[in-house]
Amino acid sequence: MQQREKSDRNVEDYLSSLERKSISIIREAKAQFRNMAVLWSTGKDSTATLWLCRKAFFGRIPFPVIHIDTSYKFPQIYEFRDRIAKEWNLDLIIAKNEEALQNGMSPEKGKLDCCTKLKTEALKSLIKEEGFDALILAIRRDEHGIRAKERYFSPRDEEFHWRYTDQPAELWDLYVRPSEDFSHMRVHPILHWTELDVWQYVRRENLPMNPLYLAKNGMRYRSLGCMPCTVPIPSNASSIEEITEELKTTTIPERSGRAQDKERAYMMQKLRSLGYM
Amino acid sequence: MEHRNMIILALDALDQNLVDKYNCKNLMQAEHGQTDISGFSLPRTVVLWASFLTGKNMEAEIPLKTQWEFKLRPEETFLDFFANYMAIDVPAFSLKENSHAEERMLLKKYFDEQTSIEDYDSVIWRNHEENKRDFFDSLGRFDLVMAYFDLADAIGHLSFGISDKMSKVYEELEDIAGEVKSSTDDLTLVISDHGMKPVGRYGDHSENGFYSLSHGWRLNLPRLTDFYNLIKQKVCE
Repeated sequence: MQQREKSDRNVEDYLSSLERKSISIIREAKAQFRNMAVLWSTGKDSTATLWLCRKAFFGRIPFPVIHIDTSYKFPQIYEFRDRIAKEWNLDLIIAKNEEALQNGMSPEKGKLDCCTKLKTEALKSLIKEEGFDALILAIRRDEHGIRAKERYFSPRDEEFHWRYTDQPAELWDLYVRPSEDFSHMRVHPILHWTELDVWQYVRRENLPMNPLYLAKNGMRYRSLGCMPCTVPIPSNASSIEEITEELKTTTIPERSGRAQDKERAYMMQKLRSLGYM
Repeated sequence: MEHRNMIILALDALDQNLVDKYNCKNLMQAEHGQTDISGFSLPRTVVLWASFLTGKNMEAEIPLKTQWEFKLRPEETFLDFFANYMAIDVPAFSLKENSHAEERMLLKKYFDEQTSIEDYDSVIWRNHEENKRDFFDSLGRFDLVMAYFDLADAIGHLSFGISDKMSKVYEELEDIAGEVKSSTDDLTLVISDHGMKPVGRYGDHSENGFYSLSHGWRLNLPRLTDFYNLIKQKVCE
């Protein structure tokens, strides 16, 4: 019993230290950039990030929250988005590439083109329109290998290129300073978290979560994306507690249910930037 | 003055680490090492080969969107130093546009889940075999034979993390170099535009390019653009 209490306390201390670092990054970003926004897919990572933003600024997020709407998302995503936006009093901006949708863009036209048109281009034009100089994103280093090279503050050019071979080390708490040759800064406050950390934090903070994450009939979604490109994984975890237990022993990759996993998506972008596609 | 016939094996994405790993002695030849492509902002295939051919960084002159159609005139390249030459499938010069367009189309289809990796690989190997035939048919008939093979690049992009496949690719390229070595005493340059590094199962261009020479020139981290003058001075003057 004593051992259990000690272990729970260790997890609490650990989560608090993760939280402290994330909040400090968010505040640092707010101090450095004049026109920042946070991306919110409504998934677990970005919802936890929104919560951290609220904590960083004492309950109200002082910058816009962007949701990229491909129009192919699950109905539960839209319901969750609208409910939380209201409850948390978010300044919600919905980015949508209406022109591409009117021209019939859909996953059937090719997943690469669909993602580019409905996600990347929607965001590009919003950044241009609103003049955002920094975006908070909820990516984590443990999502896949290439993310291990990411920095907390990561400059991007207008084409969203990431020069991963030319970025300074972030030693101690020294983050990259804004320079002239970038279009906007990506800020990654939960880069150092793992999937399990996120769920343990969700549990500790009692955060609202999309019901699609919870198992029904032996299946649940582990990562949320567009409906045609996301499939559930076999699981009996029907509560946050059961999800955290499941993650401690699972050997299934987090994004195994996503057609466009990050590695694949990264490679597509690279090949495109080299002119192959 | 040193004048002899020359063979250039232009092997896209041949990576120094893998040449060492698979102990490809024929590819290593008498002298081998890494090339310097740090002057390029992106290791783009057509840009790098055009720069190799002209001795100048051609990055600014080759737009991304039309790069595969980009063509140099012979007099802009070191090929013109040779009285008669054969350039097989050389990017920015004699690229077999249809073959490469098909490869790129299949690459896109793979990512769109409209074709399998096996179908993609079989087209790459088919095109490789065609270039190999053209290459061996040309040996001994020209002062310079330059042949381009994209096997390591094209297979590597989708399978660089799969060592069984990559070892077969390097074995094949090693066999070609071995056959050249055993059949001619011509000066042979094996050169790549860039190297390759893993992204999970996939492969991305790296700066780890490779060169080797059948007759030592004692180069020390030569820039890809240095070969234009080296060929001019050491082979043609």
